[in-house]
Amino acid sequence: MAALAEPAVSLWSPSDKLSPRIRKLRDEYFSYSSRDYFRNEVMPFTTGQPWDVVYSEHTWGVAPEVYPFMDAFKTSLLVDARTVPLQPEFWREPAIIRRALFFREVAEKHLPVQVLEGELIAGGQFNTASSRTLTKSEARKFKKMEKRYVRTLKELDSYGYGNAGATPGHLIPDYPTVLKIGFRGLREKFEALLAQAASPSHRDFLRALIICAEVPRTLAGRYARKLRELSARESDPGRRQELLRMAEICARVPEEPARNYWEALQSLWFTHILVMAAESYPGPGLSYGRFDQYLGPFYEQDLKSGALDRETAKEILESFFIKNNYVYDFQGRVGNNQGINSSFGQLITLSGMGPGGEDLTNDFTYLCLDVIEEINLLEPKPNVRLHKNTPDRLLRRVVEIVSRAQGAPFLINFDEISIRALEWIGLPKDKLWDYAPVGCLENTLQGNDRSGTVDVNINLAKAVELVLFNGRDQATGKQVGPRTGDPRQFRTFGEFFQAYEKQTLHVMEKLIGLYNLSDEIRARFEPVPYLSALVRGCETSGKDVTQGGPEFNFITMEAAALATTVDSLLAVKKLVFEEKKIGMDELIRAIAANYEGYDLLRQKLTNKAPKYGNDDPSSDELARRVSRFWSEAVTRYTSPFTGRRYRAGYLSWNYWIAYAPKTAATPDGRQRGTFLSNGVCPVNGADRHGPTAVINSVGNLNLSTIPNGSSHTISLSPSLARGREHQEKLMGLLRANVEHGSSALQINILDPETLKKAQKNPDEYKNLLVRVTGYNAYFVTLGKEIQDEIIARESHRT
Amino acid sequence: MDESSATGIVFSIQKFSTEDGPGIRTTVFLKGCPLHCPWCHNPESLSPRPELVWHALRCLGDGACLKACPEKALTRAGSVLQIDRKRCIACGICVEECPAAALEILGKKMTVTEVMAEVRKDSRYYEKSGGGVTFSGGEPTLQSEFLRELLEACRAAGLHTALDTCGQCRPETLAALLPGVNLVLFDLKTLDRDALKRFTGGQLDLILDNLRLADSRGIPIWVRVPVIPGYTDSPANIEAIARLVGSDLRHVERLDLLAFSNLCLAKYEQLGMEFALKGSPLFSPEEMLALREAAERAGAKNAVVSGPMRSNGPA
Ligand code: SF4
Ligand code: SF4
Repeated sequence: MAALAEPAVSLWSPSDKLSPRIRKLRDEYFSYSSRDYFRNEVMPFTTGQPWDVVYSEHTWGVAPEVYPFMDAFKTSLLVDARTVPLQPEFWREPAIIRRALFFREVAEKHLPVQVLEGELIAGGQFNTASSRTLTKSEARKFKKMEKRYVRTLKELDSYGYGNAGATPGHLIPDYPTVLKIGFRGLREKFEALLAQAASPSHRDFLRALIICAEVPRTLAGRYARKLRELSARESDPGRRQELLRMAEICARVPEEPARNYWEALQSLWFTHILVMAAESYPGPGLSYGRFDQYLGPFYEQDLKSGALDRETAKEILESFFIKNNYVYDFQGRVGNNQGINSSFGQLITLSGMGPGGEDLTNDFTYLCLDVIEEINLLEPKPNVRLHKNTPDRLLRRVVEIVSRAQGAPFLINFDEISIRALEWIGLPKDKLWDYAPVGCLENTLQGNDRSGTVDVNINLAKAVELVLFNGRDQATGKQVGPRTGDPRQFRTFGEFFQAYEKQTLHVMEKLIGLYNLSDEIRARFEPVPYLSALVRGCETSGKDVTQGGPEFNFITMEAAALATTVDSLLAVKKLVFEEKKIGMDELIRAIAANYEGYDLLRQKLTNKAPKYGNDDPSSDELARRVSRFWSEAVTRYTSPFTGRRYRAGYLSWNYWIAYAPKTAATPDGRQRGTFLSNGVCPVNGADRHGPTAVINSVGNLNLSTIPNGSSHTISLSPSLARGREHQEKLMGLLRANVEHGSSALQINILDPETLKKAQKNPDEYKNLLVRVTGYNAYFVTLGKEIQDEIIARESHRT
Repeated sequence: MDESSATGIVFSIQKFSTEDGPGIRTTVFLKGCPLHCPWCHNPESLSPRPELVWHALRCLGDGACLKACPEKALTRAGSVLQIDRKRCIACGICVEECPAAALEILGKKMTVTEVMAEVRKDSRYYEKSGGGVTFSGGEPTLQSEFLRELLEACRAAGLHTALDTCGQCRPETLAALLPGVNLVLFDLKTLDRDALKRFTGGQLDLILDNLRLADSRGIPIWVRVPVIPGYTDSPANIEAIARLVGSDLRHVERLDLLAFSNLCLAKYEQLGMEFALKGSPLFSPEEMLALREAAERAGAKNAVVSGPMRSNGPA
């Protein structure tokens, strides 16, 4: 039995190269159920007022699987919340100061301080559900608006339009500045600004930033004391020394600038976990940016001076990596999200180009790659930036890891394609070489950009249904969209397409309206001054990160079902209008019947119409038209309360699954419930000419109107990645995608047999990671439906 | 003469072809073969004419094809569609009418321009990976005029070309093609003159003359040996081939030992043909590696094993 499973399991276990200490720390993380002495679960904190709010629905609005539990979370968190004692003056302060003071109280007095045996990076519990510190009248307004938001959210979700909600995380704080000048340096900056600030609200805001910038020192100081206590009790002299050293480090950073590698990683970790504590959001998309660029110099300097050796540097980094995985403990209490156990995506970006297009790979990049390969964990999630001048050595190492890993150990981002689209949306050209993705693949600038990268999600295929039924939703029978006419009367495909455009605009506007409401709620009632201290632009604009304060502010609409939509339009165009092989009336009746009793017709639609994904110029042309239409249209909208402008992306997250049952049958032959297409990928099985043709089709979309980035996954059987010769070919494939393709690519190397075995013996394959759509998931935690889907996808591609 | 108006019968154009030469390639399979190797994994390539095939698994049994065929070439016996190959003229009408893509014509008449349009789509991949275009079959030299123009067009487009041949053609034909070829993939099955004749219909002397001809032009050659149980898998045969390429020839860069594959069984059944090796097991990696060692001992410089092999553990 064990022998049977061995090959796959050994691929997925951590490498034997891990030191006993790291292996133990890694196992400890996985032992959630027996780890009763330490769990990073959500800790709710309240002001104690009966009207207090510690949970807001819009924070989870983009996660439909959470909707059924929202009420329960809201109530139980408040019931369980610990009351933070506050001075009476507290309530006389303006809202922004109240949030800062409350955060300070929580971090200084209530966050537990605990150090795990053997760990080299300290900082344990950070998951909070923190009071919004609202007054009674604020709370009344908040609740009223939030209620309206939830009602609209559920309505639009039920129609299968998509969802929207002002979501925390999903940005890159300005960590390098903390490493460079410490929080003390930040406070000095804010104080200088305070001396000049004229408006009272700007002054309040800066005072709030200063209060928050004191918090890291206090929290780190509590850890320093704890570490000294532990060292006094430690019997092992080696560990005693380590604990003392860690205590010294925590006594210094992140208050002061980091002087060396260890201090830098410790400073980074404190700064990072406090963002999660401040936002009361357990980490999704809270990303590190160009990790190897700002840590590389510390590593090289310490190595050169002899203060550090590679093995120690590696252990410290591994300890840091393991800590990042504790974000998942959050799910222990509020329940695992349903169906998909996705990775949170605290993304680290590696390599990439410099201002002159030169490559910036350094020694630390390679150290990170070794750690990624050996430790095999979900977090932090790595993304490697490739470009024209990427050296063969890096590319070879990336391909080597991809091919050994059976799964996709990282996302690959393509610089030139990403930068072109960021420039198109109007970001300053000379800064774009220093972009970095957040979450999965969502391109942003670093340390100054809040672009709401997952905040609005549209199901593009819904508009096709609305055209066919003149604005009527098939599941509910309700007239939800505009009446664009009875399609039986359309004489040309042009008329059909126009109706499609109108329905798309309708769906977009509904979602935008919903988002604007949540954007206003967050901006009015939920400032996060600690995060604002870490995002450039806020301090000078005097506006919070939630209020459009950062230098760059977009709201991203992410689309799912592009290929389903395109293939549907292609089928209508060719079979109904051009060849007249199928009547519109027959098509509408078949779709209303979900193709029950219309199998022949369904077969014709499936087999006799062209499909996106085959490098076929006329199909790709229509795909480009669809893609450009909505992605250009969305940029004409802004959110009135914050002034943030909309932009487009193709992430699809899990919505290609979530909205499948809420989308009627489609003219490409798909039945209700069958998954929609994902990112810029073709419909499963529609691509018949292999990965080069698919990548070409994706490139033909012209993704320069998609600044947020586009998710593309290709799956290859292991045989295509085995051995040096084939790995060289994969390198060629990636080099070609640098010029023409998606902005982000994941390569899954897995064979269906392995997956089938994993489905049968989940216990033996606990570690099997698969890439679902821009994120990793443990295969055995996925629902059977999704597992089957993945197996089917792999089977026809081997 | 408008070069591009030349036409040939192509049975498949395979993108991201990774097993037919260096880099990422597109392999253009031309239809028709003078040999009849019992292990052929492209049985659809043997006949030079387009042929109709029926995919039983996809068939809905609605009978649209039966009604559509103007030649009355189709009949149904139970759930099996029978194609009367004497009547069928491969006109494709039934294919057009079949809703399920259960019928397919293998072999399409294409112009040089059409083939080149497909081939050029992947130029970027050839450039980035050191790949190019491979012409295979069947035996591509059978359509020598078409092939010559294709090679010419590739050269004009700056694309690396590989010619996959069994060597069973007139030396003049090969000589006329070689100037457009950057790499020869030369299939050599056995040096046993009688066995070769009996199993495949090939003439060893002609084939070796052609191999020497290619070598004399200084074109890099990869000799490829299909390792087939009971036919070509004796160490003696592999050693003999290795000695030949290691001593007599100067431009053989590599000796590929291609392990027998049984994946083509379904294709035989679709075409209503017998697969002589039905039931033969795959080789184990150890068996293939032993042959590689034998080849290297006999003087082959760069012997490479590939193809499907038996996994050792339980399936
Ligand atoms: S290809 Fe033409 S002749 Fe042959 S079976 Fe089909 S319709 Fe009849
Ligand atoms: S038309 Fe196609 S699906 Fe129908 S019986 Fe003929 S082969 Fe089968």
